[in-house]
Amino acid sequence: MTESELEVLSEIRRIATDELEWSGEVEPRHDLMRDLQLDSLGLTVLAVGLENRFRIRLSEEDAQGVRTVEDLARLVAQRAAAPAGVPVPEVRP
Amino acid sequence: MPSSTTGPDSSPFIRAVGRALPPHYATQEQLISAFRELWATRHFNVERLEDLHRAVQVSGRHLALPIESYPALVGFQQRNDAWIRAATEMSETVVSQALDKAELSPADVDHVFFVTVTGLATPSIDARVANRLRFREDFKRTPLFGLGCVAGAGGIARAADYLRAFPSQTALVITTELCSLTLQREDLSIPNIIASGLFGDGAACAVLRGAETPGAKGPRVVASRSVFYRDTERIMGWDVVDSGFKVVLSAKVPGLVREHIRRDVDRFLEAHGLSRGDVRHWVAHTGGPKVLKAFEEALELESAALERSWRSLREVGNLSSASVLFVLGETLEGPEPRPGDWGLMMALGPGFCAEMVLLRW
Repeated sequence: MTESELEVLSEIRRIATDELEWSGEVEPRHDLMRDLQLDSLGLTVLAVGLENRFRIRLSEEDAQGVRTVEDLARLVAQRAAAPAGVPVPEVRP
Repeated sequence: MPSSTTGPDSSPFIRAVGRALPPHYATQEQLISAFRELWATRHFNVERLEDLHRAVQVSGRHLALPIESYPALVGFQQRNDAWIRAATEMSETVVSQALDKAELSPADVDHVFFVTVTGLATPSIDARVANRLRFREDFKRTPLFGLGCVAGAGGIARAADYLRAFPSQTALVITTELCSLTLQREDLSIPNIIASGLFGDGAACAVLRGAETPGAKGPRVVASRSVFYRDTERIMGWDVVDSGFKVVLSAKVPGLVREHIRRDVDRFLEAHGLSRGDVRHWVAHTGGPKVLKAFEEALELESAALERSWRSLREVGNLSSASVLFVLGETLEGPEPRPGDWGLMMALGPGFCAEMVLLRW
């Protein structure tokens, strides 16, 4: 993972602990829904937290290509690095 | 699994339901406008939050106070004081209305079950209403706090239990919920933002009478059943904090409905020789669009079966324990019920738990 992706991973771990009452581990390979047991509300809390921290917008279309923590970290890092208005290639697992 | 039950002739009956909404109304878009600036202080993508507010399919809410009054209520005491004033007014209104519909007077009331989860008062609101309406000095009081959305059906079930023991008596179930006065403006968490889009204010009062009272009219409460779902304490509830009630709300509720309600309803009905096809009137708590959809799918209901619940949700939002009594009242006063019809009232709430009430017209 790149440095910026690791920064996103760190934020995902913080949100999981502080806002989602998750006490287990959060590893890049973890499936967001299966391993972290995130439901639709949990995924929204995670997305909003990342949007706020990295000043980005994530859309429904983005969610199509995201399955694992690493997918999400990559998407957020790309989105944060892109100038506003420049589309980011869709991430596929 | 034991049910509270008696034969139809010895069952208490629901004589009338009074209902009231506070006079101040705000459309969902007005509410979004009022919240937008606040949300933007912490959230980058405010449009996402607006979409969450619209996704609950509520067109607007009645509010205990004018919308511009809320920002000045900064602490729990201010909010709760406003709650006591409005809850007393609204409770008095629905009790008077319900007793008028039942052609009874305050002196006929033997027992009051007062239900709420949105404010605290000691003495409880039922005592304040009793002073205003001059109930008898020997009337009995059972305030119920903490059951949340399930308490409309739960209150009816407990009142019916009581009236089986005292079949010559009359009981009121008052549900007064002013959700807007619990709102933690400073809590910008996603569950709180969703709750602020879904919950509204309202009050209802059901008049129940024992089997030995004269003038039986209305559906009989044939039986009830409670179901407690173990180890689900964080599904829904309040965290009580210095500033009041901070909402606990999980997206697991629709999943729980899908997982359990079919089995629980079928077992309850089977215990009385019935099946889902025998139920003509479904009186469902208006939990939210996903919960109503889960009811429909799990119970394989026709699209019109929950129409009253859907309409209530769209028009006034989730009124917590009062919602199911709004749906019950409209069913009672509607043209559809015929003698011999079966009805099932059902609600879920913090615990997590379900209450089911079997009705027969």
